[in-house]
Amino acid sequence: MKKLLSKILFWLGFAIIPVFLAVTISGKTSITREWGLTASIIILGAVGLMYLGFELDASSPREIALIAVLGAVGAAGRVAFAALPNVQPTTFIAIASGYVFGPTAGFMTGSTAALVSNFFLGQGPWTPWQMFAWGLAGSSAGIVKCFFPHIGRWGMVVFCFLWGYFFGWILNLWSWTTFVKPLNWQSFIAVCAASFWFDTFHAAGNAAFYLLFGPGFIKLLNRFKLKMIQKYEE
Amino acid sequence: MLDRFFYREKGLFLQSLHPLSALTYIAVLLGLVLMFNHPLYLLGLLAVTVTAIKAVDGIDAWKSFLKVSMGAAFVIIIVNAITVRAGETIIWHGPYIPVFGRLNVSMEAVCYGADMGLRLLDIMSIFCLYNFTIHPDRVLDLLSRFSFKSALVLSLAARMFPAMVSRLDSIREVQTARGVDFNTGTLKEKMGKYALLIKILLLTSLEDSMETAEAMYARAFGSGRRSHYVRDAWRPRDSICLAASLLALGAAIYGWAKGLGTFSFYPRLDCLIDGLTELVLLFAVIFLLSFPLILSWGWHNCPFIKSKI
Repeated sequence: MKKLLSKILFWLGFAIIPVFLAVTISGKTSITREWGLTASIIILGAVGLMYLGFELDASSPREIALIAVLGAVGAAGRVAFAALPNVQPTTFIAIASGYVFGPTAGFMTGSTAALVSNFFLGQGPWTPWQMFAWGLAGSSAGIVKCFFPHIGRWGMVVFCFLWGYFFGWILNLWSWTTFVKPLNWQSFIAVCAASFWFDTFHAAGNAAFYLLFGPGFIKLLNRFKLKMIQKYEE
Repeated sequence: MLDRFFYREKGLFLQSLHPLSALTYIAVLLGLVLMFNHPLYLLGLLAVTVTAIKAVDGIDAWKSFLKVSMGAAFVIIIVNAITVRAGETIIWHGPYIPVFGRLNVSMEAVCYGADMGLRLLDIMSIFCLYNFTIHPDRVLDLLSRFSFKSALVLSLAARMFPAMVSRLDSIREVQTARGVDFNTGTLKEKMGKYALLIKILLLTSLEDSMETAEAMYARAFGSGRRSHYVRDAWRPRDSICLAASLLALGAAIYGWAKGLGTFSFYPRLDCLIDGLTELVLLFAVIFLLSFPLILSWGWHNCPFIKSKI
């Protein structure tokens, strides 16, 4: 029962955004002024629900320690590559963990990496958005594996490449809702155009990381997953 | 290089606040900045924030934040100026561009962009203040009361992070001793060498995570209700700061519901001061938010106040 509730809460975190968007487009909201505040509350709510889902999940010490390690590796990678504009292995590590350990672990890895690396790089209003975006990257990799178990190396390279842009667009949502008015698709395109090269660097970096090290990483994580299950059964 | 942006314990008043009251104060500042778009309100909040940053001795780091914000504010002004069509006072008639239509720049759009640039500076400053006021461990400590698993993941990861960075260095040294030269080779070869570093790091850390898990088992993790101890004392200063922050938030929400503190830019710029109540609310909010700063001044300069709070 608790496990079911945790799953429901976790997926509700994702559902809250499309539901809210649908309500907005249908024009049944009375929010006319501060979209920046509203967007921040919604993203915090979504991340909060997912953490609550994880909280209620009956996760063992091994899973907790594993997620912490993967998150720390992601954060260390981000700081190690801080000199290059937007090229870092964090997205790749979140995607690889989600692909092997499933959507919940992928989300926790991505969001932990974002929060922990910001302890050292500086917290900002972008933190919840980064937590959400990296978490979503990890979760979506888990979902992709469920639906396309034989996606192959090149499929994942394309997936990682696309996530470079998705990540940028999710973060653009923050600056767009907070600082731009009126909120229409023209202004959103203008904001995305301003970040185009950053996103492209990110996408190219992700693709290169997966192309060069992806299969090796996945093999390593799979081996470890097997080892974890083995230890449980003892 | 980055360490001047981190928290450093200096024994200052704002750093001695209970994390709950310090977090509430910063959250209220942030909430108000997102609620109001009136330039005077944003300026007032900026003044409070910068004074607070000065009180935690972070002005040097804030100057770097200022530079970054200026750059980003410039982008915001440009994006607003070229995409907004709602302003009436056209100051520049531009050419026709496909997708966007005719490129007319209105004064209202430029002003709105500048106002949003100010908001961005406010937000950056508030986070600068946050980084200097509260130690991350104390926030995690507070968080662990409500959600111990997530807080545990975060504190484990935060604990492992510096260890990983130093381990990365030692793995690099071992590889160098074995004859791997990280500075030569094509880009692909170099990336391969660095990937090996991360792979070894991941492998050893994953092995270690098993040991961490066993240590948690050995300490009966998850076997029942979690015990915890209180490390942070709640003092009169915390009650005062918390009450002042909440009162400021209450006043702000009341005024906001009445339409105060909002400035309409389109189709024409509003009057900057729209009646006395707007100013009264501004002063009330700023006064309440200055309470911790006044206490900080008293704590450092007046032994009597220091003994009472």
